[in-house]
Amino acid sequence: MDNPLTLKQRAIILASFVAAMILAIVPLPGSLQLLRPDWVALVLVYWCMAVPERIGIGSGWVVGLFLDVLYGSLLGEQALAKALLAYLTLRFTLRLRVFPRWQQALAVGTLVALSDLILIMIKSLVRGAPPLWSDTAPMIANVIVWPFLFAVLREVRRRAKIS
Amino acid sequence: MGTFLGWSIKRPSNLTKLILTAAASVALMVADAHHNGEVRAVRGTILRADHPLQELAALPSSLVRDAQRDLRLNARLRRENARLRARARRLEVKASRLAALRLEVAHLTALLHGSSVPGYRAGLARILDVSSGPFSRRLTLNEGRNDRVFVGQAVVDVHGIVGQVVSVNRDTSKVMVVTDPDSGVPVVSERNGLRAIVFGTGSPDSLKIPYLTVTADIRTGDVFASSGLGGVYPPGYPVARVTSVTSNPNLAFLKIRAVPLARLAYHTHVLLLWPRKRPEPHGAGHG
Repeated sequence: MDNPLTLKQRAIILASFVAAMILAIVPLPGSLQLLRPDWVALVLVYWCMAVPERIGIGSGWVVGLFLDVLYGSLLGEQALAKALLAYLTLRFTLRLRVFPRWQQALAVGTLVALSDLILIMIKSLVRGAPPLWSDTAPMIANVIVWPFLFAVLREVRRRAKIS
Repeated sequence: MGTFLGWSIKRPSNLTKLILTAAASVALMVADAHHNGEVRAVRGTILRADHPLQELAALPSSLVRDAQRDLRLNARLRRENARLRARARRLEVKASRLAALRLEVAHLTALLHGSSVPGYRAGLARILDVSSGPFSRRLTLNEGRNDRVFVGQAVVDVHGIVGQVVSVNRDTSKVMVVTDPDSGVPVVSERNGLRAIVFGTGSPDSLKIPYLTVTADIRTGDVFASSGLGGVYPPGYPVARVTSVTSNPNLAFLKIRAVPLARLAYHTHVLLLWPRKRPEPHGAGHG
Protein backbone atom coordinates (compact mmCIF):
# COMPACT_ATOMS: atom_id res chain seq x y z
CA MET A 1 0.00 0.00 0.00
CA ASP A 2 2.88 2.34 0.66
CA ASN A 3 3.64 3.45 -2.87
CA PRO A 4 4.67 7.10 -2.82
CA LEU A 5 3.02 9.55 -5.18
CA THR A 6 5.03 10.96 -8.06
CA LEU A 7 5.52 14.69 -8.31
CA LYS A 8 3.01 14.89 -11.13
CA GLN A 9 0.39 13.06 -9.11
CA ARG A 10 0.93 15.36 -6.15
CA ALA A 11 0.61 18.32 -8.48
CA ILE A 12 -2.69 17.00 -9.79
CA ILE A 13 -4.10 16.59 -6.30
CA LEU A 14 -2.85 20.04 -5.35
CA ALA A 15 -4.39 21.48 -8.51
CA SER A 16 -7.75 19.96 -7.63
CA PHE A 17 -7.61 21.65 -4.23
CA VAL A 18 -6.60 24.95 -5.80
CA ALA A 19 -9.49 24.70 -8.25
CA ALA A 20 -11.86 23.93 -5.40
CA MET A 21 -10.62 26.95 -3.46
CA ILE A 22 -11.09 29.21 -6.47
CA LEU A 23 -14.61 27.87 -6.94
CA ALA A 24 -15.18 28.51 -3.26
CA ILE A 25 -14.40 32.21 -3.51
CA VAL A 26 -15.58 33.08 -7.03
CA PRO A 27 -18.05 35.88 -6.51
CA LEU A 28 -21.60 34.79 -7.20
CA PRO A 29 -24.87 36.69 -7.18
CA GLY A 30 -26.62 36.58 -3.81
CA SER A 31 -29.19 33.89 -4.51
CA LEU A 32 -26.65 31.52 -6.07
CA GLN A 33 -24.37 32.03 -3.10
CA LEU A 34 -26.68 29.86 -1.00
CA LEU A 35 -26.37 26.98 -3.44
CA ARG A 36 -22.60 27.03 -3.57
CA PRO A 37 -21.37 23.64 -2.40
CA ASP A 38 -18.40 23.39 -0.08
CA TRP A 39 -16.10 22.41 -2.93
CA VAL A 40 -12.97 22.08 -0.83
CA ALA A 41 -14.71 19.76 1.63
CA LEU A 42 -15.97 17.53 -1.17
CA VAL A 43 -12.57 17.36 -2.86
CA LEU A 44 -10.98 16.58 0.48
CA VAL A 45 -13.48 13.78 1.09
CA TYR A 46 -12.78 12.35 -2.33
CA TRP A 47 -9.00 12.25 -1.94
CA CYS A 48 -9.33 10.86 1.58
CA MET A 49 -11.41 8.05 0.15
CA ALA A 50 -9.12 7.50 -2.80
CA VAL A 51 -5.67 7.71 -1.20
CA PRO A 52 -6.22 7.50 2.57
CA GLU A 53 -2.51 6.85 3.19
CA ARG A 54 -1.54 10.14 1.53
CA ILE A 55 -4.36 12.57 2.11
CA GLY A 56 -5.68 12.72 5.63
CA ILE A 57 -6.05 14.81 8.73
CA GLY A 58 -2.85 16.79 8.24
CA SER A 59 -3.70 17.69 4.65
CA GLY A 60 -7.22 18.64 5.71
CA TRP A 61 -5.85 20.88 8.43
CA VAL A 62 -3.46 22.71 6.09
CA VAL A 63 -6.15 23.12 3.44
CA GLY A 64 -8.45 24.43 6.16
CA LEU A 65 -5.86 27.02 7.19
CA PHE A 66 -5.69 28.29 3.64
CA LEU A 67 -9.47 28.45 3.52
CA ASP A 68 -9.51 30.38 6.77
CA VAL A 69 -7.34 33.05 5.24
CA LEU A 70 -9.36 33.08 2.04
CA TYR A 71 -12.63 33.45 3.94
CA GLY A 72 -11.11 35.84 6.43
CA SER A 73 -12.53 33.73 9.24
CA LEU A 74 -10.91 33.05 12.56
CA LEU A 75 -7.62 31.31 11.85
CA GLY A 76 -8.13 27.62 12.73
CA GLU A 77 -11.89 27.51 12.27
CA GLN A 78 -11.92 25.85 8.89
CA ALA A 79 -8.73 24.01 9.77
CA LEU A 80 -10.47 22.28 12.66
CA ALA A 81 -13.54 21.51 10.59
CA LYS A 82 -11.52 20.10 7.70
CA ALA A 83 -9.33 18.04 10.01
CA LEU A 84 -12.44 16.61 11.57
CA LEU A 85 -13.92 15.94 8.15
CA ALA A 86 -10.77 14.11 7.08
CA TYR A 87 -10.88 12.06 10.27
CA LEU A 88 -14.51 11.14 9.75
CA THR A 89 -13.91 10.22 6.13
CA LEU A 90 -10.93 8.07 6.95
CA ARG A 91 -13.01 6.37 9.63
CA PHE A 92 -15.81 5.48 7.21
CA THR A 93 -13.86 5.26 3.99
CA LEU A 94 -14.27 1.53 3.51
CA ARG A 95 -18.01 1.76 3.97
CA LEU A 96 -18.28 4.87 1.80
CA ARG A 97 -16.53 3.16 -1.06
CA VAL A 98 -19.09 0.41 -1.38
CA PHE A 99 -22.18 2.56 -1.03
CA PRO A 100 -24.31 3.11 -4.13
CA ARG A 101 -23.77 6.56 -5.57
CA TRP A 102 -26.78 8.42 -4.14
CA GLN A 103 -26.42 6.83 -0.78
CA GLN A 104 -22.77 7.76 -0.86
CA ALA A 105 -23.78 11.32 -1.65
CA LEU A 106 -26.07 11.42 1.36
CA ALA A 107 -23.38 9.95 3.58
CA VAL A 108 -20.74 12.42 2.37
CA GLY A 109 -23.25 15.23 2.80
CA THR A 110 -23.79 14.13 6.35
CA LEU A 111 -20.06 14.02 7.08
CA VAL A 112 -19.55 17.51 5.68
CA ALA A 113 -22.58 18.70 7.63
CA LEU A 114 -21.09 17.22 10.79
CA SER A 115 -17.85 19.09 10.26
CA ASP A 116 -19.82 22.22 9.40
CA LEU A 117 -21.58 21.85 12.71
CA ILE A 118 -18.26 22.63 14.36
CA LEU A 119 -18.02 25.79 12.28
CA ILE A 120 -21.51 26.86 13.19
CA MET A 121 -20.75 26.24 16.85
CA ILE A 122 -17.56 28.25 16.73
CA LYS A 123 -19.28 31.05 14.87
CA SER A 124 -22.09 31.32 17.35
CA LEU A 125 -19.60 31.08 20.18
CA VAL A 126 -17.33 33.82 18.89
CA ARG A 127 -19.73 36.18 17.19
CA GLY A 128 -22.97 35.28 18.88
CA ALA A 129 -24.48 34.73 15.46
CA PRO A 130 -27.23 32.11 15.42
CA PRO A 131 -27.11 29.49 12.63
CA LEU A 132 -28.64 30.82 9.49
CA TRP A 133 -30.12 29.47 6.33
CA SER A 134 -26.91 30.59 4.65
CA ASP A 135 -25.01 28.10 6.81
CA THR A 136 -27.26 25.14 6.10
CA ALA A 137 -28.21 25.65 2.45
CA PRO A 138 -24.79 24.57 1.11
CA MET A 139 -25.28 21.19 2.81
CA ILE A 140 -28.03 20.40 0.31
CA ALA A 141 -25.88 21.58 -2.55
CA ASN A 142 -23.12 19.25 -1.36
CA VAL A 143 -25.35 16.20 -1.72
CA ILE A 144 -26.51 17.23 -5.20
CA VAL A 145 -23.03 18.01 -6.49
CA TRP A 146 -21.23 15.00 -5.03
CA PRO A 147 -22.04 12.35 -7.70
CA PHE A 148 -20.84 14.60 -10.51
CA LEU A 149 -17.74 15.69 -8.66
CA PHE A 150 -17.03 12.07 -7.83
CA ALA A 151 -17.26 11.08 -11.49
CA VAL A 152 -14.98 13.91 -12.58
CA LEU A 153 -12.35 13.29 -9.90
CA ARG A 154 -12.41 9.55 -10.52
CA GLU A 155 -11.71 10.22 -14.14
CA VAL A 156 -8.84 12.50 -13.15
CA ARG A 157 -7.51 9.88 -10.73
CA ARG A 158 -7.63 7.13 -13.35
CA ARG A 159 -5.91 9.23 -15.97
CA ALA A 160 -3.15 10.14 -13.47
CA LYS A 161 -2.99 6.54 -12.25
CA ILE A 162 -3.28 7.63 -8.62
CA SER A 163 -4.25 4.68 -6.50
CA MET B 1 6.11 1.89 12.26
CA GLY B 2 8.37 4.83 11.59
CA THR B 3 11.47 6.37 13.05
CA PHE B 4 11.75 9.70 14.79
CA LEU B 5 15.20 10.99 15.78
CA GLY B 6 16.57 7.47 15.76
CA TRP B 7 13.85 6.00 17.95
CA SER B 8 11.48 3.56 16.47
CA ILE B 9 8.03 4.89 17.16
CA LYS B 10 4.49 3.94 16.31
CA ARG B 11 2.88 5.89 13.57
CA PRO B 12 0.33 8.17 15.24
CA SER B 13 -3.22 6.99 14.90
CA ASN B 14 -5.82 9.06 13.11
CA LEU B 15 -7.47 9.93 16.39
CA THR B 16 -4.17 11.18 17.78
CA LYS B 17 -3.69 13.30 14.70
CA LEU B 18 -7.20 14.69 15.00
CA ILE B 19 -6.67 15.57 18.64
CA LEU B 20 -3.36 17.22 17.82
CA THR B 21 -4.76 19.26 14.94
CA ALA B 22 -7.86 20.16 16.92
CA ALA B 23 -5.71 21.40 19.76
CA ALA B 24 -3.60 23.39 17.31
CA SER B 25 -6.73 24.80 15.73
CA VAL B 26 -8.21 25.87 19.02
CA ALA B 27 -4.93 27.43 20.07
CA LEU B 28 -4.78 29.33 16.77
CA MET B 29 -8.36 30.49 17.12
CA VAL B 30 -7.90 31.73 20.64
CA ALA B 31 -4.71 33.52 19.69
CA ASP B 32 -6.34 34.96 16.60
CA ALA B 33 -9.36 36.12 18.57
CA HIS B 34 -6.96 37.97 20.86
CA HIS B 35 -5.20 39.51 17.88
CA ASN B 36 -1.91 37.82 18.53
CA GLY B 37 0.82 39.32 16.39
CA GLU B 38 2.49 36.06 15.49
CA VAL B 39 -0.76 34.52 14.35
CA ARG B 40 -1.29 37.62 12.28
CA ALA B 41 2.10 37.01 10.69
CA VAL B 42 1.09 33.43 9.91
CA ARG B 43 -2.13 34.69 8.36
CA GLY B 44 -0.15 37.20 6.31
CA THR B 45 2.16 34.50 5.03
CA ILE B 46 -0.70 32.27 4.01
CA LEU B 47 -2.49 35.25 2.47
CA ARG B 48 0.49 35.85 0.25
CA ALA B 49 0.19 32.29 -1.02
CA ASP B 50 -3.57 32.71 -1.39
CA HIS B 51 -3.35 35.94 -3.27
CA PRO B 52 -3.01 34.37 -6.74
CA LEU B 53 -6.09 32.29 -5.98
CA GLN B 54 -8.07 35.36 -5.14
CA GLU B 55 -6.86 37.03 -8.30
CA LEU B 56 -7.88 34.01 -10.34
CA ALA B 57 -11.27 33.87 -8.69
CA ALA B 58 -11.85 37.54 -9.32
CA LEU B 59 -10.70 37.25 -12.93
CA PRO B 60 -13.97 36.27 -14.68
CA SER B 61 -16.11 38.88 -13.02
CA SER B 62 -13.52 41.57 -13.39
CA LEU B 63 -13.10 40.65 -17.05
CA VAL B 64 -16.81 41.00 -17.60
CA ARG B 65 -16.85 44.26 -15.70
CA ASP B 66 -13.92 45.61 -17.66
CA ALA B 67 -15.50 44.59 -20.93
CA GLN B 68 -18.74 46.27 -19.97
CA ARG B 69 -16.91 49.41 -18.93
CA ASP B 70 -14.86 49.41 -22.12
CA LEU B 71 -17.94 49.03 -24.27
CA ARG B 72 -19.72 51.81 -22.47
CA LEU B 73 -16.64 53.96 -22.60
CA ASN B 74 -16.19 53.24 -26.28
CA ALA B 75 -19.73 54.30 -27.10
CA ARG B 76 -19.35 57.41 -25.03
CA LEU B 77 -16.02 58.25 -26.63
CA ARG B 78 -17.50 57.80 -30.06
CA ARG B 79 -20.34 60.15 -29.27
CA GLU B 80 -18.00 62.63 -27.74
CA ASN B 81 -15.66 62.39 -30.68
CA ALA B 82 -18.45 63.11 -33.14
CA ARG B 83 -19.64 66.03 -31.07
CA LEU B 84 -16.18 67.50 -30.74
CA ARG B 85 -15.50 67.07 -34.43
CA ALA B 86 -18.66 68.96 -35.32
CA ARG B 87 -17.75 71.64 -32.83
CA ALA B 88 -14.22 71.91 -34.18
CA ARG B 89 -15.58 72.34 -37.68
CA ARG B 90 -17.95 75.07 -36.56
CA LEU B 91 -15.17 76.83 -34.71
CA GLU B 92 -12.81 76.56 -37.66
CA VAL B 93 -15.37 78.22 -39.90
CA LYS B 94 -15.85 80.90 -37.29
CA ALA B 95 -12.12 81.36 -36.87
CA SER B 96 -11.50 81.73 -40.57
CA ARG B 97 -14.32 84.27 -40.73
CA LEU B 98 -12.66 85.99 -37.83
CA ALA B 99 -9.36 86.32 -39.60
CA ALA B 100 -11.05 87.84 -42.62
CA LEU B 101 -13.07 90.14 -40.41
CA ARG B 102 -10.00 91.28 -38.50
CA LEU B 103 -8.28 92.18 -41.73
CA GLU B 104 -11.35 94.02 -42.90
CA VAL B 105 -11.66 95.91 -39.64
CA ALA B 106 -8.04 97.00 -39.86
CA HIS B 107 -8.56 98.18 -43.39
CA LEU B 108 -11.77 100.01 -42.59
CA THR B 109 -10.19 101.68 -39.61
CA ALA B 110 -7.34 102.86 -41.79
CA LEU B 111 -9.80 104.08 -44.42
CA LEU B 112 -11.76 106.06 -41.89
CA HIS B 113 -8.66 107.57 -40.35
CA GLY B 114 -7.47 108.60 -43.76
CA SER B 115 -10.82 109.90 -44.85
CA SER B 116 -10.53 113.35 -43.42
CA VAL B 117 -9.86 115.13 -46.68
CA PRO B 118 -10.45 118.85 -46.34
CA GLY B 119 -13.42 119.93 -48.40
CA TYR B 120 -14.59 116.42 -48.99
CA ARG B 121 -16.90 114.00 -47.28
CA ALA B 122 -15.87 110.37 -47.50
CA GLY B 123 -18.14 107.35 -47.63
CA LEU B 124 -17.36 103.69 -47.70
CA ALA B 125 -18.28 101.56 -50.65
CA ARG B 126 -17.86 97.86 -51.07
CA ILE B 127 -16.34 96.42 -54.21
CA LEU B 128 -18.88 94.03 -55.75
CA ASP B 129 -16.97 93.03 -58.79
CA VAL B 130 -13.65 93.53 -60.54
CA SER B 131 -13.68 93.31 -64.28
CA SER B 132 -10.40 93.40 -66.03
CA GLY B 133 -9.80 93.02 -69.67
CA PRO B 134 -6.79 94.12 -71.70
CA PHE B 135 -8.46 97.43 -72.48
CA SER B 136 -10.38 98.18 -69.36
CA ARG B 137 -9.99 97.94 -65.62
CA ARG B 138 -13.22 98.57 -63.81
CA LEU B 139 -14.64 98.07 -60.35
CA THR B 140 -18.29 97.72 -59.48
CA LEU B 141 -19.27 99.36 -56.20
CA ASN B 142 -22.37 98.74 -54.13
CA GLU B 143 -23.30 102.42 -54.07
CA GLY B 144 -25.37 103.99 -56.81
CA ARG B 145 -27.64 106.88 -57.68
CA ASN B 146 -29.72 106.26 -54.57
CA ASP B 147 -26.59 106.91 -52.53
CA ARG B 148 -25.93 110.16 -54.42
CA VAL B 149 -23.00 108.73 -56.33
CA PHE B 150 -22.27 110.75 -59.47
CA VAL B 151 -20.23 110.29 -62.57
CA GLY B 152 -16.76 111.77 -62.22
CA GLN B 153 -16.63 111.17 -58.52
CA ALA B 154 -13.19 110.41 -57.13
CA VAL B 155 -12.52 107.04 -55.51
CA VAL B 156 -9.55 106.64 -53.17
CA ASP B 157 -8.19 104.19 -50.63
CA VAL B 158 -5.74 104.54 -47.78
CA HIS B 159 -2.71 104.70 -50.00
CA GLY B 160 -3.83 106.78 -52.89
CA ILE B 161 -6.22 107.39 -55.72
CA VAL B 162 -8.11 104.42 -57.07
CA GLY B 163 -10.01 105.96 -59.91
CA GLN B 164 -13.22 107.75 -60.80
CA VAL B 165 -16.83 106.84 -61.25
CA VAL B 166 -17.74 106.47 -64.90
CA SER B 167 -21.29 105.21 -64.77
CA VAL B 168 -23.98 105.11 -62.15
CA ASN B 169 -26.88 102.74 -61.82
CA ARG B 170 -29.64 102.78 -59.26
CA ASP B 171 -27.74 100.86 -56.64
CA THR B 172 -24.32 100.24 -58.14
CA SER B 173 -21.69 102.22 -59.93
CA LYS B 174 -18.71 101.52 -62.15
CA VAL B 175 -15.30 102.88 -61.39
CA MET B 176 -12.58 103.33 -63.92
CA VAL B 177 -9.33 102.45 -62.17
CA VAL B 178 -6.23 104.57 -62.76
CA THR B 179 -4.62 101.63 -64.53
CA ASP B 180 -7.36 101.66 -67.17
CA PRO B 181 -5.91 102.74 -70.53
CA ASP B 182 -8.58 105.47 -70.73
CA SER B 183 -7.65 106.93 -67.37
CA GLY B 184 -5.62 110.03 -67.00
CA VAL B 185 -4.85 111.72 -63.72
CA PRO B 186 -3.35 115.20 -63.53
CA VAL B 187 -0.47 114.97 -61.09
CA VAL B 188 2.33 116.98 -59.67
CA SER B 189 5.70 115.69 -58.54
CA GLU B 190 6.06 115.79 -54.78
CA ARG B 191 9.77 116.41 -55.16
CA ASN B 192 9.83 119.41 -57.42
CA GLY B 193 6.29 120.25 -58.44
CA LEU B 194 6.67 119.00 -62.00
CA ARG B 195 3.25 118.72 -63.60
CA ALA B 196 2.34 115.66 -65.58
CA ILE B 197 -0.50 113.33 -66.41
CA VAL B 198 -0.48 109.70 -65.37
CA PHE B 199 -2.12 107.30 -67.80
CA GLY B 200 -3.14 103.70 -67.31
CA THR B 201 -1.68 100.98 -69.45
CA GLY B 202 -4.21 98.20 -68.94
CA SER B 203 -1.76 96.20 -66.90
CA PRO B 204 -2.78 95.98 -63.23
CA ASP B 205 0.42 97.38 -61.77
CA SER B 206 1.81 99.63 -64.40
CA LEU B 207 1.22 103.28 -65.28
CA LYS B 208 2.89 105.51 -67.79
CA ILE B 209 3.73 109.22 -67.77
CA PRO B 210 4.05 110.40 -71.34
CA TYR B 211 4.69 113.80 -72.84
CA LEU B 212 7.62 114.72 -70.67
CA THR B 213 10.57 116.00 -72.58
CA VAL B 214 14.10 114.85 -72.01
CA THR B 215 14.79 118.02 -70.14
CA ALA B 216 12.22 117.23 -67.44
CA ASP B 217 13.66 116.67 -64.00
CA ILE B 218 12.32 113.26 -63.16
CA ARG B 219 13.95 110.25 -61.57
CA THR B 220 13.15 106.78 -60.52
CA GLY B 221 11.39 106.85 -57.12
CA ASP B 222 9.67 110.17 -57.65
CA VAL B 223 6.17 110.20 -56.20
CA PHE B 224 3.42 111.95 -58.06
CA ALA B 225 0.35 113.18 -56.25
CA SER B 226 -2.86 114.44 -57.73
CA SER B 227 -2.74 118.11 -58.54
CA GLY B 228 -6.46 118.82 -58.39
CA LEU B 229 -6.38 120.22 -61.89
CA GLY B 230 -9.39 119.24 -63.90
CA GLY B 231 -11.53 119.11 -60.80
CA VAL B 232 -12.11 115.41 -60.73
CA TYR B 233 -9.56 114.29 -58.18
CA PRO B 234 -8.91 116.02 -54.91
CA PRO B 235 -5.42 117.52 -54.75
CA GLY B 236 -2.61 115.99 -52.73
CA TYR B 237 -3.44 112.31 -53.03
CA PRO B 238 -0.57 110.01 -54.02
CA VAL B 239 -1.07 108.42 -57.39
CA ALA B 240 2.11 106.84 -58.71
CA ARG B 241 5.75 106.23 -58.03
CA VAL B 242 8.20 106.23 -60.92
CA THR B 243 9.92 102.92 -61.49
CA SER B 244 11.86 103.57 -64.66
CA VAL B 245 12.88 106.51 -66.78
CA THR B 246 14.17 105.65 -70.23
CA SER B 247 15.49 108.27 -72.55
CA ASN B 248 15.70 107.47 -76.22
CA PRO B 249 17.58 110.15 -78.23
CA ASN B 250 15.46 109.40 -81.30
CA LEU B 251 12.28 110.33 -79.51
CA ALA B 252 11.15 113.66 -78.23
CA PHE B 253 9.70 112.36 -75.01
CA LEU B 254 10.94 110.24 -72.14
CA LYS B 255 9.54 106.79 -71.63
CA ILE B 256 8.48 106.72 -68.00
CA ARG B 257 6.92 103.79 -66.14
CA ALA B 258 5.32 104.02 -62.74
CA VAL B 259 3.32 101.88 -60.30
CA PRO B 260 0.03 102.91 -58.78
CA LEU B 261 0.25 103.72 -55.11
CA ALA B 262 -3.34 102.79 -54.28
CA ARG B 263 -3.42 99.11 -53.42
CA LEU B 264 -5.76 98.18 -56.19
CA ALA B 265 -5.50 94.45 -55.77
CA TYR B 266 -6.17 94.45 -52.03
CA HIS B 267 -9.17 94.66 -49.76
CA THR B 268 -12.83 94.97 -50.49
CA HIS B 269 -13.68 98.53 -49.55
CA VAL B 270 -12.82 101.87 -51.06
CA LEU B 271 -13.77 105.42 -50.22
CA LEU B 272 -16.05 107.60 -52.32
CA LEU B 273 -15.40 111.33 -51.97
CA TRP B 274 -18.16 113.87 -52.04
CA PRO B 275 -17.12 117.53 -52.37
CA ARG B 276 -18.66 119.63 -49.63
CA LYS B 277 -19.54 122.31 -52.13
CA ARG B 278 -21.37 121.62 -55.37
CA PRO B 279 -19.49 119.16 -57.56
CA GLU B 280 -17.62 120.66 -60.40
CA PRO B 281 -19.55 120.63 -63.63
CA HIS B 282 -17.32 117.90 -64.90
CA GLY B 283 -19.18 115.02 -66.54
CA ALA B 284 -22.87 114.60 -65.76
CA GLY B 285 -23.12 115.95 -62.24
CA HIS B 286 -24.92 114.10 -59.51
CA GLY B 287 -28.20 112.33 -59.74
